Amino acid sequence: MPEPPQPEQPQPDRPHISAGDRAAEDGAVAATGMGGAMDLAATEAESLEPAQPGGAPGAPERTRSLWSDAWRDLRRNPVFLVSALVILFLVVIAIWPSAIASGNPLHCDLAKAQDGAESGHPFGYNGQGCDVYTRTVHGARTSVTVGVLATAGVTLLGSVLGGLAGFFGGTWDGILSRITDVFFAIPVVLGGLVLLSVITSNSIWPVIGFIVLLGWPQLSRIARGSVITAKQYDYVQAARALGASPSRILLRHIAPNAVAPVIVVATIALGTYIALEATLSYLGVGLKPPSVSWGIDISAASPYVRNAPHALLWPSGALAVTVLAFIMLGDAVRDALDPKLR
Amino acid sequence: MPPEVLLEVRDLHVEFRTRDGVAHAVNGVDYAVGRGQTLAVLGESGSGKSVTAQAVMGILDIPPGRITRGRILFRGQDLLKLKESERRRIRGAEMAMIFQDALSALNPVLTVGDQLGEMFVVHRGASRKDARARAVELMDRVRIPAAAQRVRDYPHQFSGGMRQRIMIAMALALEPALIIADEPTTALDVTVQAQVMDLLAELQRELTMGLVLITHDLGVVADVADRIAVMYAGRIVETAPVHDVYKAPAHPYTRGLLESIPRLDRKGRELYAIKGLPPSLTDIPRGCAFHPRCPMARDVCRTDVPPLYEVPGDRRSACHFWRECLDG
Amino acid sequence: MAEPVLEVNGLVKHYPLTQGVLFRKQTGAVRAVDGVDLVLGRGETLGIVGESGCGKSTVARLLVSLERPTAGEIRYRGEDITRLSGRALKAVRRNIQMVFQDPYTSLNPRMTVGDIVGEPYEIHPEAAPKGDRRRKVRELLEVVGLNPEHVNRYPHQFSGGQRQRIGIARGLALRPEIIVADEPVSALDVSVQAQVVNLMERLQGEFGLAYVFIAHDLSVVRHISDRVGVMYLGRIVETGTDTEIYDHPTHPYTQALLSAVPVPDPEARAHRERIILYGDVPSPTDIPSGCRFRTRCWKARERCALEVPALAVPEAFRAVGGPAAHDSACHFAEEKHVVADGNRPG
Repeated sequence: MPEPPQPEQPQPDRPHISAGDRAAEDGAVAATGMGGAMDLAATEAESLEPAQPGGAPGAPERTRSLWSDAWRDLRRNPVFLVSALVILFLVVIAIWPSAIASGNPLHCDLAKAQDGAESGHPFGYNGQGCDVYTRTVHGARTSVTVGVLATAGVTLLGSVLGGLAGFFGGTWDGILSRITDVFFAIPVVLGGLVLLSVITSNSIWPVIGFIVLLGWPQLSRIARGSVITAKQYDYVQAARALGASPSRILLRHIAPNAVAPVIVVATIALGTYIALEATLSYLGVGLKPPSVSWGIDISAASPYVRNAPHALLWPSGALAVTVLAFIMLGDAVRDALDPKLR
Repeated sequence: MPPEVLLEVRDLHVEFRTRDGVAHAVNGVDYAVGRGQTLAVLGESGSGKSVTAQAVMGILDIPPGRITRGRILFRGQDLLKLKESERRRIRGAEMAMIFQDALSALNPVLTVGDQLGEMFVVHRGASRKDARARAVELMDRVRIPAAAQRVRDYPHQFSGGMRQRIMIAMALALEPALIIADEPTTALDVTVQAQVMDLLAELQRELTMGLVLITHDLGVVADVADRIAVMYAGRIVETAPVHDVYKAPAHPYTRGLLESIPRLDRKGRELYAIKGLPPSLTDIPRGCAFHPRCPMARDVCRTDVPPLYEVPGDRRSACHFWRECLDG
Repeated sequence: MAEPVLEVNGLVKHYPLTQGVLFRKQTGAVRAVDGVDLVLGRGETLGIVGESGCGKSTVARLLVSLERPTAGEIRYRGEDITRLSGRALKAVRRNIQMVFQDPYTSLNPRMTVGDIVGEPYEIHPEAAPKGDRRRKVRELLEVVGLNPEHVNRYPHQFSGGQRQRIGIARGLALRPEIIVADEPVSALDVSVQAQVVNLMERLQGEFGLAYVFIAHDLSVVRHISDRVGVMYLGRIVETGTDTEIYDHPTHPYTQALLSAVPVPDPEARAHRERIILYGDVPSPTDIPSGCRFRTRCWKARERCALEVPALAVPEAFRAVGGPAAHDSACHFAEEKHVVADGNRPG
């Protein structure tokens, strides 16, 4: 009669028996003698009696699900609230930058180059004499759009391809794995120089497309791995034994249990994609002036960091806050989807 | 004549800090093992049997673990007062441990010969060649066929039973006075379990070692132990010579366990089942920890922690009503 | 024996061993199940015992159609279910359900208990009308001894024994005729094992279930089974009623297995005769010729290497009858009493 191969340690995964067990047991003890199975079954049920601390007594009971529980959890999580507010703000200024910065980001006055803050221009001027505040606000649009869309594209493509390959296995999995290997071998910067230099359009779409093209194998590999792990659990076998369809197994049983690492990698990747856009712009193959983006401003300001640090500080600060907000959001969502952490 | 006492654990308390509060894993454990004696420590998961052993060996994870009270005397010397370097010298050389999962207890990238030989290199300053020879000798001793060839193999190349033999060989390497075996056969099949237990018992007799056998299997205990200590919720609830416990348990928990196991030799009717669940270590019931599951519980059990009462015949029981329990 | 609900003939499952990444070629096979015959009567319990790697879990997975056999047939009510697919297979699944070994991995940690136990009704909507499902789930939880108020909890909020009850409730939801239980209590603590075994016995009576109870613990199997099959290296080597197998074993492997079980009685230590088998179970990729047990058998002779012993009543007992006359795949079968009688007081 082997025990489960778990280390015999105080088991923090059994908090349920702690809280209200006592009350129920006190009641049960007096009544129950050397009971049989029925008796004991009832007793064990009773010993689980304690209502969850959060549950309002007598409230009409609703059937809950992972998603509704996760949402309830998120609404109470300050990390989520703060990061969601920051992201909301970013989205608003990305759509409507003139709401808080009425100036023209392309209106520059060389006479004021590298000047510090002054009234009406709280962030000062950059090397070209443009208003840093206006440029930072207007730069949010390209940077956030590139970051979010590239991440969305990479995640969608990567997790669908990787997830399906992991789930079905076989020849397609083999082929896909080899393809991802090939993509991994392409150096990002060199690839960018080659691929993007032939494109003359000065819109964000080639950049997004390039990032998706080179980024999906990373996500696909993560998704494939976590789907393969989740697939092996007995609960997937149990669902199969019940006659569940492959789509049900994939969506109900595997996806929720495989999504956590994908979220983590995707949110971290978002920051690197915004930075990658900046790198490409710096190399002259991404966006080109007169486009406004944090990347362009950061690369333009970096040579003059000693004379005019503020011109570098503000766009890079904005970039850092954005990346942090998305990582925090990803963390909060991942935790909310794990019932064990509730 | 009582044999020389090797290990004495006195009033040991161990706590763990967890997210749900402080888990009281060990709450006042006393036991003693003499030379040539086998003490079985019996308990379910979470009873504190392994934590006690880890504290004795000095391999407890601190933090989150913490020894809050008690003494661990090895040949009269309090191990808890020693410096880590001094304890290291005792560990392996004078007391050794055998783990349940031999595959994860052995290093997968070193050959078993290297791992066995390392003991001699580290503790005895043997040369590599000498160490290799001693490793072969040890593998012979635990009856691994073709030891001289297999000494170059890696752990994964051995079967479960053979790996457990290598673990035993490793524990025996420096001929320690005391061996602590934590569920040594739980992961093995019955036929292999029988081989390994036989080997362990035989070596113990041969070397007159003290053996602390940690297990949840009442059958294994009956087969090899001299004395038994039954643990529940971090305490010893009953300790006695092994024959007496099976004849007439002096604690209702022991009785419940004995009655709840199905028997090989008869079909039997419905099994007796101890009701309820073992308590959470973060919230151990007041009074006797077993009272919520005990068919004999009365008011006093809910309020007063039972001491370890002396029971005639070199036994002890932590039950207020041990007399009634003995009478059945 | 009662009218059979499940008949298994010549069941074989080989897993090919392959090499290469894109262009695979077969280099051998793991012969996990290598010709198994079984009969399960209505409402009875068939125990299957064996050591790890003997193929008993593969048999379980084959019985519930989680795997397709390489050869052989599984007849449910006379119909071979091994070739079924789609709708027809789904219909059969309603009647053959499974309980898993590990209560920690067999429940989806991201589903509530209500969703887990109610999922069978979502997959088989015809089994219960939509409005009825929540009530049914609560009933099921009550039947297995859990508090129906806990439908919104997640698996990790329960202990191992309670999780196993949830798994049993899920298995019961569609009112199957047969439940295949693969080591359902071996991951549980001793005091909780008895609770779950008792529960399974009670449910069998209440719902008229037939169990295939697979375990390595011989005592539990004896306790719950009407008939027992002993497996070794992908085959059943001996089968009979519980008394026939435990009190009158004729196959040397069964005898060794029984004699190796530690008996919870220190008095038996002295007069217990134990058959210690040497060596390990051979690899299922490389099964010995003839009798597959011969490499560890103390009775093995030349004939054992040449001739595969059939699973039938050995000739020596055929005329005599009695409890020793049951199927045993050994050329040199003889009765040997290995289980010590328990006269433990109390």
